[in-house]
Amino acid sequence: MRFSVIWIIPILAAAVAIGLVIQRAVSEGPVITIEFKSASGIEAGKTFIKYKDVRIGVVSAVTLSEDYSKVLVKAKIAKHATGLMVEDAKFWIVEPRISLNGVSGLNTLLSGNYIGFQAGKSPEEQRTFVGLDEPPTIRDQPGRRFILKARTLGSLGIGDPIYYRGLLVGQVALYNLVENGKSVEITVFIDSPYDKYVTPETRFWNASGIDVSVGADGIDVRTESLAALLAGGVAFDTPDYLPPGSPADENSSFTIYRNRAIAMRQPDPVERKFVLYFNESVRGLSVGAPVTLYGLRVGEVAQVGLHFDSVTKTFRPRVLVTFFPDQLVARMTARQQVEGGKALLAFEQEARIKLLRQNVEERGLRGQLKTGSYLTGELYVAFEYFPNAPKVKLDWTRDPLELPVVPGGFANIEAKLSSILTKIDNMPLNAIGTEVKDALAVLNQTLKDAGLMLKNVDAKLVPEGTRTLEDMRRAIGSADRVLKNTDATLFGKDSPAPQDLRDTLQEVTRAARAVRILVDYLERHPEMLIRGKTEEKP
Amino acid sequence: MTAEAPTAAQAGLLSCEACQMLSRPAAPGMPEYCRRCGERLQFRHYGSVQQTWALIIAAAICYLPANMLPVLRTTTLGDSEGDTILSGVAFLYATGSWPLALIVLVASVMIPLGKLVALAYLLLTVQFGSVESNRERTRLYRLVELIGRWSMLDVFVATFTVAMVQLQPLMYVQPGAGVLFFAAVVVLTMLAAEVFDQRLIWDSAYPHTERHG
Repeated sequence: MRFSVIWIIPILAAAVAIGLVIQRAVSEGPVITIEFKSASGIEAGKTFIKYKDVRIGVVSAVTLSEDYSKVLVKAKIAKHATGLMVEDAKFWIVEPRISLNGVSGLNTLLSGNYIGFQAGKSPEEQRTFVGLDEPPTIRDQPGRRFILKARTLGSLGIGDPIYYRGLLVGQVALYNLVENGKSVEITVFIDSPYDKYVTPETRFWNASGIDVSVGADGIDVRTESLAALLAGGVAFDTPDYLPPGSPADENSSFTIYRNRAIAMRQPDPVERKFVLYFNESVRGLSVGAPVTLYGLRVGEVAQVGLHFDSVTKTFRPRVLVTFFPDQLVARMTARQQVEGGKALLAFEQEARIKLLRQNVEERGLRGQLKTGSYLTGELYVAFEYFPNAPKVKLDWTRDPLELPVVPGGFANIEAKLSSILTKIDNMPLNAIGTEVKDALAVLNQTLKDAGLMLKNVDAKLVPEGTRTLEDMRRAIGSADRVLKNTDATLFGKDSPAPQDLRDTLQEVTRAARAVRILVDYLERHPEMLIRGKTEEKP
Repeated sequence: MTAEAPTAAQAGLLSCEACQMLSRPAAPGMPEYCRRCGERLQFRHYGSVQQTWALIIAAAICYLPANMLPVLRTTTLGDSEGDTILSGVAFLYATGSWPLALIVLVASVMIPLGKLVALAYLLLTVQFGSVESNRERTRLYRLVELIGRWSMLDVFVATFTVAMVQLQPLMYVQPGAGVLFFAAVVVLTMLAAEVFDQRLIWDSAYPHTERHG
């Protein structure tokens, strides 16, 4: 029996099948076993092992250990990642994790848990590992870690970016509550080479989202970048006016400030506290509201409270303000800064108090509550000189010093209005009314008299007037006749005068013309006077 | 049928496969062609048994990857999953549509397997010359030939799914290698059934018949 050609088909099929098998076998990497405490979200065939976001392996089986206390996860590693399976390689389960140590792994809510991997440095190969319970804190990238302290976490989260002058230079690694539970510690990791820009003088601030603050300064909207808007983050920088320093040590701690303005403002090395007692409502005055001198910011409100005066047994608002002399000095010219600096920053308290006293008592420096924004009703404390302010008696020895105040803007308007009303009230309206009545009575009488007078006029003067008018009329009639005669005489149709007049005028015109011709001729031929008129040559 | 009536082979007649005309071959061993339609006249398909075996073996070889490799690869939101025929059946059963699971099981697993087994059985009985239950065997052969093509239903469903579910990046389906091997299995078994000359079943009843295969 001949072997027909048809046997090629099964041979081909066999070849393909065997080829597949061989290819599978050859491209298979090692199988490793990882021991975990629990296999949360690990599924055979579905859960991957990821390193640098590349799938380097897949879980093939999940079983319990022999003593049923641990979970053994068998995973097939891809061929190209075989070299990574060394002794100190680390595995951990990446899952959404909320604990006192922070929140992480939220991206796995969408994609499902996976096993994270961190490469080790050992050259020894290994196939069984013990998985970590939590992601390892030591990263395998060059850079440094720093601790940031804040009162609240705000909108920060693990993995949030850290910016330096707009560049992404690091990320939030994890965060936790401090022991006493009153503040939060955030560990951030700054990649090199940017970690050298973190000096002990560096300020960190929260660059998350949009920072909108409404204060007596107005509405302030700030965002770091569109990315920060969406993702949130922390930014840092070192104030320009400070000398550059050496890079900070690893794990040094810093405070996170609420926004850039506050961060770069801190700290003013010198601050003086003063207390002000107001007699009006301080609603709308918030901590941090500006304290101004002639409208320029020189400090801020530190505390708004209430004071019970034991002498008068009344309550009064008590406002504690912080004055930063640096801010005042910074506003002056360079030359004056030296003088002003001496006066304000001088360490001799006596000299300072003397200057202040002079301003208060002689110049009338007073504090006043003013409305910063009519929209929100925010108040701020303004210091100005009120020469007409009432004198005050202050205790210049107490600490913090008390500064005098004058009623604020609204209170002023109120006072003015009330004084106007008082004036109106004080006007002798009754008396005025009586006088007006009398005047009216007199006027009435006057009018009556006038009426009588007119009647007299009518009776006596009018006939006289009539006669006078008659005479006048007659006179005018005569004058009219005279004029008519004159008219006929002088200018009538056949009166001689006009005709004669006309003739005379014509003669005069002819004579004038002749004279003119003569003068013209004379001008052209002056010799005519001597020679006489010669014949005109054509 | 009684054994007294002579068979066409015993009478030296050949039936044309295409037009069924009976002809008497001129001389044994020479190639004959039907006078009416021109189709080549053969007593039995030449090498039918061998060819059928070859095709069955090829189909059997392909059957393993067909079930082990994924037929469809579904990618949902970046996460892709491959489904073999059996895992698809399990999934359908687990999600409650057991009629579908049953259909897929029957059409994709049982029928190809059944065909392979049936054809192998027929070949063996032909080769060993067994006589009894020839009629059942013929019926079996007819069944195999009839339902063979319906296994392509699974391939059709897979192709249809791939064509319809293309909603990148939300969800999309790609065919896996398993569907190619599965189609190969179905095609090979269909060819095997075609190549097998069912008249061979009855030759065992007439042991003295001249056979050319």
